[in-house]
Amino acid sequence: MNTAGTLGSRWTSGLRQRAASWARRRQGDDQLPVTITTRRIYILPTRGGVAFGALLFIMLLAGLNYGNSIALLITFLLAGFALIAMHLCHRNLANLGVRGVAAGNAFAGEHGRIAITLENSADTARIGLECQVDGSERVTVSVPPDATARADLAVTLEKRGRLRIARIKLSTAFPFGLFRAWTWLHPPLTLLAWPAPRGRHEPPPETATGGNAPAVHRAGDEEWAGLREFRDGDSPRQVAWRAFARGRGLLVKTYQSPAAHHRTFDLSTAPGADIEQRLEQLSAWIVAAHARGERYGLRLERQEAAADSGNEHRARCLDGLALYGSGEPW
Amino acid sequence: MVSAAARASVAASSLFAASLVLTLGNAPLWCLGIGLAAVGWRIGVALGRIGLIRRGTGLRFVFGAITAILALAVAANFHTLNGLSAGTALLVVMGALKLLESRTRRDDSIVIGVALFLLLAAALAGQSLWRIPLYLLTVWGAAAAIALVAHGDALFPTRAAFRIAGRATLMSIPLALLCFAFFPRIAGQFWALQRGAVATTGLSDEMTPGNIDKLATEYDPAFRVRFEGSLPPREALYFRGPVLNTFDGLTWRRARSGGALYVGTPMMPVGDAVRYRVTLEPTNQPWLFALDTVDASPRRDVYLTHDRQLISTSPVNSVLSYDATSHLVTHSSGSLSNLGRRYETRLPLDRNPRARALALDLRARTGSDAQFARAALDWFRTQGLEYTLEPGTTSIDSVDTTLFDTRRGFCGHFASAYATLMRAGGVPARVVTGYLGGEWNPVGGYLLVRQSEAHAWTEIWLDGQGWTRVDPTAVVAPERLQRGVYDLMANSLPATSVFFHNNPFFNRLGLLWDGANQWWQANVVDFNLRSQFDLLNKLGIDSPQWQHLGWAFAVGLIAWIVWVALSLRRTLARGKPDRVGRAWLRATRKLARVAGPRAASEGPYDFARRVAAARPDLGARMESLASNYARLRFGPAANREDVAAFERDVRRLAV
Repeated sequence: MNTAGTLGSRWTSGLRQRAASWARRRQGDDQLPVTITTRRIYILPTRGGVAFGALLFIMLLAGLNYGNSIALLITFLLAGFALIAMHLCHRNLANLGVRGVAAGNAFAGEHGRIAITLENSADTARIGLECQVDGSERVTVSVPPDATARADLAVTLEKRGRLRIARIKLSTAFPFGLFRAWTWLHPPLTLLAWPAPRGRHEPPPETATGGNAPAVHRAGDEEWAGLREFRDGDSPRQVAWRAFARGRGLLVKTYQSPAAHHRTFDLSTAPGADIEQRLEQLSAWIVAAHARGERYGLRLERQEAAADSGNEHRARCLDGLALYGSGEPW
Repeated sequence: MVSAAARASVAASSLFAASLVLTLGNAPLWCLGIGLAAVGWRIGVALGRIGLIRRGTGLRFVFGAITAILALAVAANFHTLNGLSAGTALLVVMGALKLLESRTRRDDSIVIGVALFLLLAAALAGQSLWRIPLYLLTVWGAAAAIALVAHGDALFPTRAAFRIAGRATLMSIPLALLCFAFFPRIAGQFWALQRGAVATTGLSDEMTPGNIDKLATEYDPAFRVRFEGSLPPREALYFRGPVLNTFDGLTWRRARSGGALYVGTPMMPVGDAVRYRVTLEPTNQPWLFALDTVDASPRRDVYLTHDRQLISTSPVNSVLSYDATSHLVTHSSGSLSNLGRRYETRLPLDRNPRARALALDLRARTGSDAQFARAALDWFRTQGLEYTLEPGTTSIDSVDTTLFDTRRGFCGHFASAYATLMRAGGVPARVVTGYLGGEWNPVGGYLLVRQSEAHAWTEIWLDGQGWTRVDPTAVVAPERLQRGVYDLMANSLPATSVFFHNNPFFNRLGLLWDGANQWWQANVVDFNLRSQFDLLNKLGIDSPQWQHLGWAFAVGLIAWIVWVALSLRRTLARGKPDRVGRAWLRATRKLARVAGPRAASEGPYDFARRVAAARPDLGARMESLASNYARLRFGPAANREDVAAFERDVRRLAV
C-alpha cells in the first residue's frame, strides 16, 4: 500500500463522512414508514458509466474529426441513451416505500440481523435495490409491482453493548448500471450485542422456589398442572397433540413439581477475572440453562429478572447483560 | 433456464457478433471468421456445452503469443496498423481474444465496449442510407446487452431488458437529432487516419480502344449533378474528365510529368454561366468532372490545369461534393504557343500510315484548319462507320484498323482516329474523356450520370477560336447525343442491368431509392457547420454565430430533458391499490367502528380475529372475508369473478 493510496482513501472517506452528515442535517431523522421522495435521492455515474462516457467522448472526437455525420448521430444517440439511463435509474428508487426496519440481536462476535421491508406501490417491478449499512455486505432485493420484499442484512457485532446504526444506504444501478442512485435512511435503529457465551464454570446450584409457577415438563418430578398456550421456545414434545387434534389449538402440557427448582445467576457471585468475563460466564449459563429448558433468574446488582423460562425470558436476560454498565434502563 | 452470468455473456457475445456483421467489407474475412468462432465458443461455454479455459501463467503466455501473432497477421495484411481497416481488423481480433478469456461481468462489459467501437468504425466506413436501420438495431442491442450484463434478476427477463432498452433508444432519438442539428461541428481534423483502399473505377488517364467500351457496360452511378437553374440542353452535357495528349499509335495517355507543359491560352466565357453541384462517387482517382468548360477550381485542394482539367491533390476515396460554374460556350482570341502547337501535334511516325495518308490528302484539298476539320468530319459521316460496343480486335495501328479494316468502333475509336487525322494534318488536337448525357431523376431533381455514359471526344485548336470540341461519334451515331448507351445497345449489355433500366416499375423504384440516397447524402452525410448556419438562417437568425448554435442547442436540450422527465414521471406516479386492495381498505374502514383501525403490521387474519372478538356475530363472515382477501392478494392470479364477489361481500358487510 503506498502513501498516496492511503491518503487518497483517507481523503475520500473524509469526504464521505461530510456528505453523510450533510445529508443527515438536510433530511433529519426518519420515522418509518417512509416514502423515498425525489428530494433525497442522489445520483452519480458508476465506474462503468464513467467508462461509457469516455467511450462517447472518443466517438465524438472521431465523428468531429472526420466530419462523419453518422458517427456523430450514433454518438448522440448513445449520449441520449445514457441520459435516459440516468432518469430510469433515479426512477427505480423514487417513491419507494420503506415499511419498517427490524433488528435482530446476537452475541458479540456474531452477526446481528437487520430486516428492511421495502414496499413498491408502482405498477412496475423495482429491480436490483441494494441495501447496506456500515459494516455490512450489500444485499440486493427486487420488489414486484404492488408488493413488498424484505432485505436481510447481517451486521458484524464486535463488542458487547448497544450498536447504533446511524444510517441505511439504499441504492440502485438499475437498469443499465451506468448510474447509481442512492438515498440515506436515518431511522432509529439499534442492535444489542450480547456478551459471547464463554466460561467453563459450573452454574450455581438449583434452589427450590416453592412458588406456584407452573413449569414445563421435566423428567422426574411431575404433577399435572393443566394446559397453557404455546409460546416460542416450547418443545414440540410438550405440546398436547391430542388437544390440537380436537381443534383446540396449540397447547402445552404443564406440570407443577411439589418443589420447583430454579437457578439464580448473580453477577456479584459469577466467577471471572473482570466484569466482561463474568458477563460472558453469565451468558454461557443462560444459554445452557435455556437449552435444558430450566428455569432461571438473573440478578445484576440492584436489578433482577425473576426466575422463568422460554425465549422471551432468555432474550430479556441477555439484553440485561448487553446493557450492563451502559447506564441505560434494562 | 440459463444463469444470469451465462445470459450476460451470451448477450455481450451476440452484440459482438452483430457488430462483426457491420464491419463486413471493411475488415478482412479471416478476421471476421476468428471473431465469429470466438463468439460461438463463448456462447458454448456460457451454455455449458464447452469447458472453460483455466487461467494460469502458462495460458497467459499462450494468449500473449496469439495476440502478437494475430497483430502481426493484421499488419502483414494491411502493411500498417494505422488505418481504418487495419484498426477495425485489430479490434475484431482483440475482441475475439477477450471473448476467449472472459468470465466476469467486467469482461462482458469490455466486449460490449469493443462492439461499440466496431460500430463506430462501421459508421466511419459507411454512411449509406441502407445501413442506418442496422446501426439503430445495433444501438438497441447494445443497450439491451448493457442492461443484461448489469442485472441478472429473476424479475428482469431478457424481454424486459430489450423493452426498456428499446424505450431508452427511442426516447433518445429526438436528442440525437437535436445534437445533430445544433451541436457545433468543429471543422478540420485533429488527426488523420489512413482510409481503406477504395476500388479504382471510372475513367483513367489512359485510353486504349476498348477500355471505354468496358466502362460503358457498367450501370453504377459515376456522379450526380444538381443544377441551379434549368437543365442545359442534352447535347451540351459533356462532362470533361482526363485530357489525353500523347499517342503511341494504340493508346492515348496523359503525360505524367506533371505541371503545365505549356502555358494555356486565356479563355473568354461567352453567354450565361451554368451553376451546379456535383456529387462524385469515390473513384480512387484524382479526376473531378465538370461541364465543358469550367471557369475555375471549385475547391482549394483541386487545381485547374493548363488544359482545363480539374485534378484533386489526393485520390477521391469518399463521396465528394463540389460547386462548380461552367460556360457552355467559350472563345479564345490568343494563339497557341509554339511549344503547345508542337506538343499537341506529335504522332508516332511509323504508325497508322493509311490514316496519315488520308489526312495529308484531305489537308491538300482544303484551305484552312477549319475546312480541314470539317472535311475530316464529313469523311467520318460518309464512310458508313458503325457505332458499336463490339468493335472487334484491333492492332498496333489501331486507327487504320478502325477506319479501313473493321470500319466499326465505339466513341474511343472514333475520337482516337479523328485526333490522329487532325494531328497528321498539322492541327493541334487532343482526346478528352468524360461523360455525355445522363438520366434525369424527377424525384430528386438531379441528373444521374452513370458509368455507362462514359464518352470520348476530341478537341482541336483553331486560331481565333481556341480549343473547340469536335465529337466524331456525334457524326457517326447522332442518336448518341440524345440517348444513352443503355437505350441504344441493350443487346451488348448485362441483361439484369438492362432489365432494371427498361422495366418502368424498377426504373422508377431505382430512381426513388437513388433520390432518397441523394437526399440522405446531401442533408445528413454532408451536414456540416455551414449547413448548421444555413439552418439557423432558416429559423430566422440573420447572421448566425457560434453563440446562436449554443443557444439553440441549450434550449432544445432543456426541452428534451423536461419531456423525458415528464414522460417517465407518468409511470412513476405512486401506484394506487388495485381493486382487491381498495375493497379491503373499504372493509377495514367500515370495521374500524367496531374494532378500531387496522394496524399497519396487522395481517388480515389477525384483524378478523380482533373484529370477531369484539362482535362475535360477525365471526363467520369475517373469517371468510379475511381468507378471501388473502387468497386474492397472495394466492395465484385471481380471476375477475372472484374479485367481483369479494367486492360484493365488502359492500354487503353491515356493521
